Amino acid sequence: MSACSLRCDSLGVTYRSQTGKSICALRDVDFEVRRGEFVSVIGPSGCGKTTLLHILAGLLQPTSGSFRFFDQDGQNSRTALVFQENSLFPWMNVMENAAFGLEMRGVGKAERERRASRMLERLGLAGRERDYPRQLSTGMKQRVAVVRAFVSEAAVLLMDEPFAALDRQTRMRAQQELTELWESERKTVVFVTHDVDEALLLSDRVVVLSASPGTVLAEYHVHMERPRELFCEPDEESYELKRRILASLGLVAELSRYSVTS
Amino acid sequence: MTKALRFAGSAWLIALLLACWEAMSRLHLLDPLFFPAPSTLLGTLGRLTLSGEIGRQVMYTLERTASGFGIGLICGVAASALITLSARLRRASEPLIAFLYSTPRLTLLPMVMLLVGVNNTARILLVALGTALLMMIQIADAVRAVNRDFVDMAVNYGAGPLAVIRKVYLPACLPQAFTALRLAFSRALVLTISVELLNCDDGLGSMIWNAWQTFAIEKLYVSIALAGALGLLFQWLFLRLERRMTPWKEQTT
Repeated sequence: MSACSLRCDSLGVTYRSQTGKSICALRDVDFEVRRGEFVSVIGPSGCGKTTLLHILAGLLQPTSGSFRFFDQDGQNSRTALVFQENSLFPWMNVMENAAFGLEMRGVGKAERERRASRMLERLGLAGRERDYPRQLSTGMKQRVAVVRAFVSEAAVLLMDEPFAALDRQTRMRAQQELTELWESERKTVVFVTHDVDEALLLSDRVVVLSASPGTVLAEYHVHMERPRELFCEPDEESYELKRRILASLGLVAELSRYSVTS
Repeated sequence: MTKALRFAGSAWLIALLLACWEAMSRLHLLDPLFFPAPSTLLGTLGRLTLSGEIGRQVMYTLERTASGFGIGLICGVAASALITLSARLRRASEPLIAFLYSTPRLTLLPMVMLLVGVNNTARILLVALGTALLMMIQIADAVRAVNRDFVDMAVNYGAGPLAVIRKVYLPACLPQAFTALRLAFSRALVLTISVELLNCDDGLGSMIWNAWQTFAIEKLYVSIALAGALGLLFQWLFLRLERRMTPWKEQTT
């Protein structure tokens, strides 16, 4: 197994609300991500998933515990974020957005455009390089944001429900594309989602967080073979895995109780 | 074709009004002494242009507007930076700004004249004050409205403070800054002409007042029309500049 890329040790965040009450968003979050591993963090809304990602992105200080990256890269560019929306700068065209991470690393214009255009082409965005985000559909915008993260040379990519705002069909296509892209690039990814199917399709491992305060409830390895397909037959094992994840989220238990009483 | 149609769509009402005016003046339904026909006024415009009087007066007005606008712009942007950086300074200056902003700028002219004397400096300073107030409020507001996500994104991708300003704050504030610029310039022009009307020997405003005092009715109308046309011209120029500088923005107007 490859080396550890990121480790969180009892991470916790407590902040003061506007009414002065102290709110515990995350408590004792422990997990590891190996180099080249795709890890999904799943949990009910309000469990602090986004807070966790902001901490890893260096935008928020944890109030307890610590986290560490084990790559030799520079301080600031160790992670690359993809948000659910507002991912792209409206004043930059597709190419400038896609190459932004490389630009901030001081990569020359010709070189960063060469690298970005290769990836843009892969996601079907060839010919749209000079368009501004307002001219793109939501799905295309998220693809550009994914390209930016992948070409940025960041050690760990952090994705915060990047496909949540897409309609179902666009989302499925985006998931399939991300699967293929990741399988060829093998970047380290922490992917926050509330969609169990999405987590199972994309991840090597799924970390389940509890509702507030968020803390790690369970971890599951996803052993499904790669390359993965969106429309593959669910086998016994993945079916069982999904049931267990839903159970740890407290969803299956409710369903079975319902079926008993009805 | 569509361009011509659009032009016709926004010009017909004015053309109709001018035609009515022309007809009523010629038929003496309106007293031509008070309401000379537009065609007559066109002749007056030509005469005054050829004599060089219009060019001279417009230049006086534009000089004052531009100086006041320029000084006010620099001071306003600097002040907006100060109140953006220091919350304490912003809180302390808020009541003063609110007071100055709600006072008709023209009423401050005597005070400015007591400070620097009855001269051109006082007129320019008043225009500068008007511009600075507007720019300061608008720019500070634009900076505060910048979406936090964009800043987070830039910082996460390794942007330092300078890069964040250059890549996020500046472009994000540009549209509102341009709107403020357009508004501020038209206000500066209005204020300049008002000051000239009140207390000055040259410029479009004094031309209007002198024409009224000497009952030069044709000159009166021509100079009023000029003041309006000048305002329109600069509105249009600033709008063009804004579109060129922010091509990424959805064009609504």
